[in-house]
Amino acid sequence: MDFDFSDDQEQLRDAVRKWVDKGYDFERRRSIVAAGGFDRSAYAELAELGLAGLYVNEADGGMGMGPTEGMVVMEELGRGIVLEPLAQSLIAGGVLSGYAPDAIRTDWLPRLVSGEALVVLAHQERQARYRLDVCSATATQTGSAWIVSGHKSLVAAGDQADAFLVPAMVGDQMALFLVTRTASGLRTSGYRTQDGSRAAEVGFDDCPASLITTDGLATLEHAVDIGIAATCAEAVGVMDRTLAITVEYMNTRKQFGVAIATFQALRHRVADMKMQLELARSMSYYASLKLNAPADERRRALARAKVQLGQSMRFVGQQAVQLHGGIGVTDEYIVSHYFKKLTQLEMTFGDTLHHLGEVSSRMQDTAGVFA
Amino acid sequence: MDLAFTPEEQAFREDIRAWVKGNLPADIAHKVHSALRLSRDDMQRWARILGKKGWLGWGWPKQFGGPGWTAVQKHLFEEECALAGAPRVVPFGPVMVAPVIMAFGNKEQQERFLPGIASGEVWWSQGYSEPGSGSDLASVKCRAERHGDKYIVNGQKTWTTLGQYGEWIFCLVRTSTEGKPQTGISFLLIDMRSPGVSVRPIKLLDGECEVNEVWFDNVEVPADNLIGEENKGWTYAKHLLSHERTNIADVNRAKRELERLKRIAKAEGVWEDVRFRDQIALLEVDVVALEMLVLRVLSAEKSGKNSLDIAGLLKIRGSEIQQRYAELMMLAAGPFSLPFIEEAMEAGWQGDFPGGVTANAPLASTYFNLRKTTIYGGSNEVQRNIVAQTVLG
Repeated sequence: MDFDFSDDQEQLRDAVRKWVDKGYDFERRRSIVAAGGFDRSAYAELAELGLAGLYVNEADGGMGMGPTEGMVVMEELGRGIVLEPLAQSLIAGGVLSGYAPDAIRTDWLPRLVSGEALVVLAHQERQARYRLDVCSATATQTGSAWIVSGHKSLVAAGDQADAFLVPAMVGDQMALFLVTRTASGLRTSGYRTQDGSRAAEVGFDDCPASLITTDGLATLEHAVDIGIAATCAEAVGVMDRTLAITVEYMNTRKQFGVAIATFQALRHRVADMKMQLELARSMSYYASLKLNAPADERRRALARAKVQLGQSMRFVGQQAVQLHGGIGVTDEYIVSHYFKKLTQLEMTFGDTLHHLGEVSSRMQDTAGVFA
Repeated sequence: MDLAFTPEEQAFREDIRAWVKGNLPADIAHKVHSALRLSRDDMQRWARILGKKGWLGWGWPKQFGGPGWTAVQKHLFEEECALAGAPRVVPFGPVMVAPVIMAFGNKEQQERFLPGIASGEVWWSQGYSEPGSGSDLASVKCRAERHGDKYIVNGQKTWTTLGQYGEWIFCLVRTSTEGKPQTGISFLLIDMRSPGVSVRPIKLLDGECEVNEVWFDNVEVPADNLIGEENKGWTYAKHLLSHERTNIADVNRAKRELERLKRIAKAEGVWEDVRFRDQIALLEVDVVALEMLVLRVLSAEKSGKNSLDIAGLLKIRGSEIQQRYAELMMLAAGPFSLPFIEEAMEAGWQGDFPGGVTANAPLASTYFNLRKTTIYGGSNEVQRNIVAQTVLG
């Protein structure tokens, strides 16, 4: 039982923090939002730091790192509310490294690691909400070739990505496929989401596809759990910074002749925000440390974590805006952007109520960190 | 980063578990698991069993006869005791006054008082709060005047937990009215059997007399019973408050009570009610998050690499969770938690409890009783002030 970070992990954190502070300031972010919410060169800079290949084995050219390193990186990106979806690269790295056949690995992993290729998960369907076992996309095989048909929504940077991880039904069994953006029959329609980042609707009309695994549901669950852990860590970074911004504002802003940080009603709200932040940080650790556990244990742990994170995100975001007063609801001031990021992260990979249902249905007689 | 305890820590846990299993009297564990009333004898029996093993002062260093355990080992010991259904050790002797005597008492005081605390023979009480001094503890008025080699004590203490059994009491007394309120307080040990000490139990909302008023009417106390220097008592009291950091969250008890809540929910038929069950699930998440918070503090203490000064958060969250499980247990039984039949809260009662489930008898009383947790030990509002101070300056 040890929650200290190693020197290497601290160095990784410093490197990412330095990039966020110097290379990704609020003005650059604002211009990326204005230009559509995704910047290829910013993503390339993340890849140059080695982050795109964080979860790719060293034999495949990646960093071969684990969930703790992923957590450290995502916390720092959260601090800067970075728009480029590195969590997707962690998912793709983990899934392709862990489940894909050699042909796909040798074709895609080097490009994933270098940042040349962005590979994202395309699993969201209209009817599924947050359920992973609801899928209407289909795949059929002719000879050794597969084709996929269906429609996926809210695909991260979907019109910028180079390939998609696509769950589709083969009969009554879910399988997972890789489809390139240049595949015939593929259409994308991009848009910005509420947090300023980019997403797309992606239509697949008899698209040529490569089979990653026929064990689609279990793989998708693992992929989403990687995403949940990354989201939890990102949220901790966002909340940490949100609280710091709020504290700074409260010590500066004067009303009735004194700094508003002197008012007890507001001070207690800050104490409650600190509580939610530390509970969230604790459960983000828990999520990352359980990411390599057996599937049942992992799923239960990640659901528990997302319930805590969801509650914390909503509270910290809403209260940060409230404590800022009018300036908190403007676009010009930074805190509203943190609030919107937190709101979107709560609904990413399953919201609080969804995961509460997961926890509820998975409850056992005993409960605790180790049960 | 590693969630698992080390093999050595796991082995330590197994040893503790085996010992507790073999030494915790079954009748006491039954009462704890069913939230039945514990007698003075129950509490002291367990204290003496621990004392004989040398574990009543489980947080003590070796030089004072303690086991010299690490923060993690202490936590594991507390967890194994709680999960097995051991009663909470009455903390005033071994957990509260003993560390102050060790840190600030003289050798003679250490030799005189520590053995009786370690063995569980002497029952200690705490004399802090007064009618006019609750959250504002530094305003205590109970007066101790020095006359030669004695102090003459006059005044009143209140909320003295289990003081009706007390043989000794450690008190914050006013020895000076000069300067700031904090600077005129002394830390005095008083024999409760001295002439002039009177104790009156206070009946609480659950029908039990858990706390007391204690009066001092010209009580003579040998000056030898003063801990450290006169007027420095506030410093010693603060040391005491900072001594126990993770214990205050009581997460191990929360884990045990969460299991009990699930049993009650199943027995009462609300386990299958999604609306109710989701509330249990939320509490389960709260308990796991609190446990992670506690483990983070332990890890920080173990490595010494980063300090994690979040005792206030642990107190707030731990107390809220205690109140919540008690609330959900009561709500699970619903109307059948309402009959107030005190005998049914005693072990061995053979009567017919309305609804047929005698285990429901203490649920509402426990709920009422645990409202204290957000009030005592520095109310949660005071804790929020402290937390806000660390965040906002």
